[in-house]
Amino acid sequence: MIGTLAVDLLLVSILIGLAWQVVRGRVLFRAIVFFVAFGLIMAMIWGRLGVPDLALAEAAIGAGLTGALMLGAFRRLVEIDARQAVSGGLRPSPRLSLLLSLLAGLLVAVLGLAGLELRGGSGEAGRAALDSLHLTGLGNPVSAVLLLFRGLDTVFEMLVLLGAFLGARHVAERDRRSGAAIASHRLPMVGALQMTVVPLALVVALHLLRAGANDPGGAFQAGAVLAAGGVLLTLTGRVVPQAQAGLLTRFSLIFGTLMLAGSGIVPLIYGGVLMAPPGKTAIYAIEAAMMVSIGVTLSLLFSASAGLRAVRS
Amino acid sequence: MIDVFALVLLIGGCGFMFAGTVGLLRLPDVYCRLHAQTKADNLGLLLICAALALLSESLLAASLLLLIWLLGLVASTVSAHLIARHARAAERVDRGKGR
Amino acid sequence: MTAELYVFAAAAVFGIGVHGLLIARHLMRKLLAVNLMLSAVFLLLLLFSTPIGGKPDPIPQALVLTGIVIAVSSTAFALALMVRLFRLSGRATLPRFEPDDD
Repeated sequence: MIGTLAVDLLLVSILIGLAWQVVRGRVLFRAIVFFVAFGLIMAMIWGRLGVPDLALAEAAIGAGLTGALMLGAFRRLVEIDARQAVSGGLRPSPRLSLLLSLLAGLLVAVLGLAGLELRGGSGEAGRAALDSLHLTGLGNPVSAVLLLFRGLDTVFEMLVLLGAFLGARHVAERDRRSGAAIASHRLPMVGALQMTVVPLALVVALHLLRAGANDPGGAFQAGAVLAAGGVLLTLTGRVVPQAQAGLLTRFSLIFGTLMLAGSGIVPLIYGGVLMAPPGKTAIYAIEAAMMVSIGVTLSLLFSASAGLRAVRS
Repeated sequence: MIDVFALVLLIGGCGFMFAGTVGLLRLPDVYCRLHAQTKADNLGLLLICAALALLSESLLAASLLLLIWLLGLVASTVSAHLIARHARAAERVDRGKGR
Repeated sequence: MTAELYVFAAAAVFGIGVHGLLIARHLMRKLLAVNLMLSAVFLLLLLFSTPIGGKPDPIPQALVLTGIVIAVSSTAFALALMVRLFRLSGRATLPRFEPDDD
């Protein structure tokens, strides 16, 4: 009992300390790095609370990809105008801001404690999901919920991801520089890193995809690991941002959404119910398509371009 | 018996991680800090992974932990190399400006 | 006991996020603060769930996973907007509110 309490106290105090550093740090770059560390501690907390799917997703997407996106944007700011990029700083704390944040924290605390009181009553949706799990052929209830029981939510989620990509691409200006590489893959160690880690990322992504049926994992985590490989390729200059998206890129962006939505609409043609659960191979196919789409979308969001082109070295 | 050994490895690993962090905070130069950070942290990670591998139930988990340590090694090594390169380049620029 | 502790953590992080959002001038700091608030809300959402027969409830997990992906999507879009604003106006802060212009 003391052991778990000590772990919880440590996690909570580190979490709050990191959050404070993110907000009050003098240097913007350090704030971003502290945010990545915050994400990793959140992943540990998800693990502590017994939800490993969320731990994987937070580590890959919340900490890793969000950190990469922020550092990429920060780098673009610095390249345009190094001094103005970090200007602005912090206002001296007016008392109003402290009061508001205290009230906000209190609101969350009250809501949280009230919510804890109400626990133990409901959970019928979850119970229904767990009871029908054996009918779906999946062992991982979260994957079943995401793909089958609440598949419509997931379709909208993929559309939001696509929408963010379209919006970011529309807003971004074409760069004069040839690429986004910061450490050329021709450097001895970087080349070796990229040659070992990128295939490994592919293997890990495929493993997460396949394991997501019965163990923690799934399409989103796998897609995020793929995107990490894509980020590494972009940073080492192995792929170069392109202004126009090729046909393959455009197709892979919408592939996942099409498969997921299609799996819901196609049963209608055969006289079945909208969004009826498909068989296990169909689930693997849909998840694979989603993995590809998520990986491609997140990689393109990082490189802030419409497409990526491989470079022959 | 194995538990005690794993506990000793775990405490040692945490000690080395702590030393690395102290080095990061207290050493004067980028290069010194890189030394402390990567060397101590790699060893600390090795000890922690070894302890967890001893405590794990399956050979699969133990080999996954070995893979984790190798990946951590590769990542920190290349990062340290790139940081040192960048620091050297920045130094040359400063010296070139006659500082 | 642990649940109350994490509720306190979520409340503290949310409050810190609100504070950061209000006192920061740089847009990226505001974005970091908003992400902190998002993480706190996700933590709270999961803490409300009750284990069903020993296993954690899968519905809030799926909702929070969806939330994480949507958070990264909106962060990516917001970053693209910020970079564009910086290119056009030379500053990554919002223009000051002048009470005189109407």
